[in-house]
Amino acid sequence: MTGGPVEIFVSLQGWLLDRVVQPPLLALGLGSHLEMAFDGIEFFLCGVLQLAVAYLLLRPLEALRPIEVWPDRKAVRVDVLYSFLDRLGVIPLLMFVLLAPLFVLVDGWLRFAGFIPPQLEDLFPVLESWPLASFFAYLVIFDFAEYWRHRFSHSLNWWWALHAIHHSQRQMTLWTDSRNHLLDDLSNGFCFAVIALLIGVPPGHFVGLLIVVRTVENLSHVNARLSFGPIGEHLLVSPRYHRWHHALELPAGHQFRHGCNFAVLFPVWDRIFGTQYLIQDIPSTGLAHGPLPESAARSGFWRQQWEGIEGLLATIHPDPPR
Amino acid sequence: MPIARLPCAGAGERTLYLVTFYCFRRCDVPLPYRLVDFARLAGRLLIISLFGWQMAAAQAELAIALNSADGTISLIDTTTYEVTGKVAVCKEPHHLMPTPDDKSLIVACAASNQLVFFDPLTGREQRRLRGISDPYQLGYSPDRKWFVATSLRLDRVDLYDPADFRLKARLAAPRTPSHLAFDNASEFVFVTLQDSNEVMAIHLGTQKIAWVMPVAATPAGIVMAPDNRHLLVASMGEGVVEVIEWRFQKSVKKIATDTAAHNLQPKGDGRHFFVSNRSVNGSISLLDTKTMSVVEKYDVPGGPDDMMVRADGKELWATARFARKVQVVDLTTKKLKLSIPVGSSPHGVFFLNHAGLR
Repeated sequence: MTGGPVEIFVSLQGWLLDRVVQPPLLALGLGSHLEMAFDGIEFFLCGVLQLAVAYLLLRPLEALRPIEVWPDRKAVRVDVLYSFLDRLGVIPLLMFVLLAPLFVLVDGWLRFAGFIPPQLEDLFPVLESWPLASFFAYLVIFDFAEYWRHRFSHSLNWWWALHAIHHSQRQMTLWTDSRNHLLDDLSNGFCFAVIALLIGVPPGHFVGLLIVVRTVENLSHVNARLSFGPIGEHLLVSPRYHRWHHALELPAGHQFRHGCNFAVLFPVWDRIFGTQYLIQDIPSTGLAHGPLPESAARSGFWRQQWEGIEGLLATIHPDPPR
Repeated sequence: MPIARLPCAGAGERTLYLVTFYCFRRCDVPLPYRLVDFARLAGRLLIISLFGWQMAAAQAELAIALNSADGTISLIDTTTYEVTGKVAVCKEPHHLMPTPDDKSLIVACAASNQLVFFDPLTGREQRRLRGISDPYQLGYSPDRKWFVATSLRLDRVDLYDPADFRLKARLAAPRTPSHLAFDNASEFVFVTLQDSNEVMAIHLGTQKIAWVMPVAATPAGIVMAPDNRHLLVASMGEGVVEVIEWRFQKSVKKIATDTAAHNLQPKGDGRHFFVSNRSVNGSISLLDTKTMSVVEKYDVPGGPDDMMVRADGKELWATARFARKVQVVDLTTKKLKLSIPVGSSPHGVFFLNHAGLR
């Protein structure tokens, strides 16, 4: 964005800060959080734009070239709610409030112990003067970490009980991307914060990284026949590629015991680590076997949260054999 | 502007850029304008070629603004008010200050754990000190024996030897140590603690915390008054400047300025201070330390934050945190003169040709 749109965006951001956010913050003695609040408003406005773009571009695509046609879309409504809570910053704010103090404490303790966590730029100083290269480097590192986080969320029983909420949807659409258990979000936020502590994330990149990841994730869940072409399908996770990750029935083989196609942005990770499954067919989506009841496919927000916790407790204290 | 990239490019690149620009990019501009513009740029290029960067940039009278969210610095020509370049620097450059000899400008890169030194004449990077943990606000003690950095995010104040920037002491300062000031004898450094609504005094000789006292809500900017008797503390929460008799740790007055009073900058006359009131519909107040009262106020929108006064006293420059601008106030007409678009969340601003800093 340059010129006019930036001016409009910043003016709106400033107006919201001045009229909506600043008065209560000052009244509550939280004036030192004004800069963070200003960034939060940017996050919120970017979320509004993302929701608008997703609805205006991807929803027509789903209507024109659907993979699956359902008699009704009631089961999708809860995913729309998840998307709004996520994109407009409610869930990210909750995660930030829960995790930031912990990581500041750890970081502060490390500094007092004489250890400054390394930065990516300390290893590659050239990144400091090449913002685009720096952005791409962080994107690749985060996507690599996301691959492994995602893979662990399938292979560790307790995590899978939570992540299964995301997979319980049988009507997978562009909104399904944000359908996550809150504890799953917390685990994801924890992993992100660890990476940020280990290599440092430029604040200027943060929103950009989120926008790229979320846009591709929206796209990869879309219920539309959409091909990236013979080469593109190998470069970026497509709806067909990710649909196999959500497949009701997984391909046979030991390497697919916990699933396939874990990559979030770049399929190359699946290729390298032997979890890639490329085929032209398009499967149905959902959970065929546990750890959640079949009703999770259609239950509401709070019910799903509870079902996730029940699943989690079952992995910690399984029913004794009778 | 083609000249925009000149200070950051090599000679060959500069020439290529100029040729390319004038051959292909400006064909829509009428010829006379192109010729005048070309002559101006060619003249500058000639000066650069003959006398080097210092001469050319000195002629341009450079201002540097830190864009803390972008991680960049904006180079501004203070005579034309044009942004002549934007350079990627580091993560979260917040505050800056000149070295005592004015030969370098130190930029504190909080999230990069670095101090980056720039030539204040040309804007060229001189050197980079890594391993300086989370520097936010910086300050040299008046006797030049101490270099102090606050770590806003990690609740800490670091004392360095300015000769080699070796860490001498690291003190816990909960919570949110923000701005700092020294007494004239360089005996103490005073630090505002934004989230615990306190001012902390550190004895530089012993490198220990001497005292902590409560102040008005969300204290930010802090300066020593010319009498060396009173500390002036800007309180964002109450929109006041609190006057503290620091030897007795006693609050003696609260001077109302405007919403979100944030920072203080000397006018350079040994008497007055500008106070930035950092709300979106912000303002800058002029405080008289003789009468301890506000004597003038200017509307400066966009969240005015750090400030700098031109040496001739005619202009006050202020970064507008919430507007991506540097605001220039004409101190003769007492009105906002113009706004210079810069990067995201501009924080520190500096030019060499400034009024006194005390």
